[in-house]
Amino acid sequence: MDIDIKGIVIICGNYGSGKTETAINLAATRKRDGIDVKIADLDLVNPYFRTREAKISLEAMGIEVVLPDKQYMHADLPILTPAVAGMIQQPSELTILDAGGDDVGVTVLAALEDHLSKKKVQMLQVINRFRPFTDDVKGCVRIKEEIEATSKIKITGLVSNANLIDETTPEHIYKGYDLLTAVSEATGIKIEFITACSHLIPQLELDRFTCPVLEINRQLNFPWKQFNP
Amino acid sequence: MAKVLMKGNEAIGEAAIRAGCKNYFAYPITPQSEVAEYLAKRLPEVGGVFLQGESEVAVGYMIFGAAGAGERVMTTSSSPGISLMSEAISYIAGAQVPAVFVNIMRGGPGLGGILPSQGDYFQATKGGGHGDYHLLVLAPDGVQEAVEMTMNAFTLAEKYRGPVMIMGDGLIGQMMEPVEFPDTLKTEPSNKDDWATSGMDHRKSDKRNLVKSLFLDPTELNNNNLALKAKYDQMKREEVLYEGYNTDTDYTVLIVSYGTMSRVCKTAIDMMKEQGIEVGLLRPKTLFPFPEKPVFDAATKESCKHVISIEMSMGQMVEDVERSVKGRREVDFYGECGGDIPTPEKIIQVIKALL
Repeated sequence: MDIDIKGIVIICGNYGSGKTETAINLAATRKRDGIDVKIADLDLVNPYFRTREAKISLEAMGIEVVLPDKQYMHADLPILTPAVAGMIQQPSELTILDAGGDDVGVTVLAALEDHLSKKKVQMLQVINRFRPFTDDVKGCVRIKEEIEATSKIKITGLVSNANLIDETTPEHIYKGYDLLTAVSEATGIKIEFITACSHLIPQLELDRFTCPVLEINRQLNFPWKQFNP
Repeated sequence: MAKVLMKGNEAIGEAAIRAGCKNYFAYPITPQSEVAEYLAKRLPEVGGVFLQGESEVAVGYMIFGAAGAGERVMTTSSSPGISLMSEAISYIAGAQVPAVFVNIMRGGPGLGGILPSQGDYFQATKGGGHGDYHLLVLAPDGVQEAVEMTMNAFTLAEKYRGPVMIMGDGLIGQMMEPVEFPDTLKTEPSNKDDWATSGMDHRKSDKRNLVKSLFLDPTELNNNNLALKAKYDQMKREEVLYEGYNTDTDYTVLIVSYGTMSRVCKTAIDMMKEQGIEVGLLRPKTLFPFPEKPVFDAATKESCKHVISIEMSMGQMVEDVERSVKGRREVDFYGECGGDIPTPEKIIQVIKALL
């Protein structure tokens, strides 16, 4: 089962759910499938571990990365570059908008409403059940409602990014999938895909899932970990 | 409790709750604002209070007030904010009340930058505020240790009735790691009836307490400073914490490094080991009291020819390393402090240049 997602895709979710790692790997996977991909870093909230840190490796793959001007790269200022509106008006086959965390992180989408309202937009909520506040259906639904209220956009798909970084086992991924299924039943929102680190995929019983699995090759790593190309 | 994935900042917040802290006052500043965000959600669930002050100066005195009333209290900030709180920290030390301060360091001086730094070592260990006082300073190297040290900080603050600081750099606050929490903090029975202004109701004795740092009588002031000095001497005897890494080998170089920087050094040490080069690491976990004797012993091991302090600063802890080594070995230094963390490859290059 392959991921066939296209169009304008906004990645949102609670703070630290793994939106950026998901967005970067989704961009890379789809680029390898042969379609044109653009990605924009809309995370105006979090000062560390942002899409901009993977800029070089994404651009090496031929993915267009839209970021604030270089001189503002390390500012904790809410800068929205006009290039983002441009990429919404002229999207590529897959255009990924990596939003910031929680309802605060999607506030920026309201500023793009004029552009987004004219287009068909998908919005994916990323959930890691091992993060605080999203370990049950109630918590996930609360985040969903807060994000929808602030962004004025409905969430169209769910993504499980269940992990404990290096300590992740298949059991964690199964538990994440089970929660995602329950959230999907409670909200009527479809499951888009789940994620798993590349080294875990051979260990997974894939027929447990009714959705595709996005392979994650970690890009936002600790400074003491070797770069993993 | 099963493991969860948390940012250092969130984990410090949860650890404070598990330690029974119901009072958290703060003013937001990158890169530690998640502590306030987390506790703003969590504290009401446990009957606690988060109040944002109008500035870090105000927050410092909110901490002093709550601590003086015998409440378990914490604040968190980053470098410029700690500078603003330094006056209150001096008052808190002088008045001998327990409080926990967290500094998630960013680059300085001045506004500096928002990326990780270890540029506040002097401020934390040598003063910051005025007068003869010290903070007990704990420096975690990851999220799990930040949890343990935060919980322990409350115990130590109450044991010594004074300010305790957790020193993490921006990366410790921002990175996520799997963590688990002990269910509750084991604390000694409180002696706060002897000193806190907690009201006369339910008090065992009729003694009236006054929280102050003003002693106009020279003998009284000298006695207060002697009492503080006795505590710092006790800390030096009882609270020194450190970790040795690869120190059971015949290493030729000893690195002294703490926090995030020490984790990069560990990777570099593992990589050099594969190349047949043995390097030891001594990681201070308490910056005050500094592990003087452990550093001396590790530096003067027969195989050890070089000692180097590696920091995300322009050379601060290196002065304590030199002091500890007592001239028995040459002490070198390497540091960067713009916000980019030196890579393991860079550390290897620096070490090889010594050999």
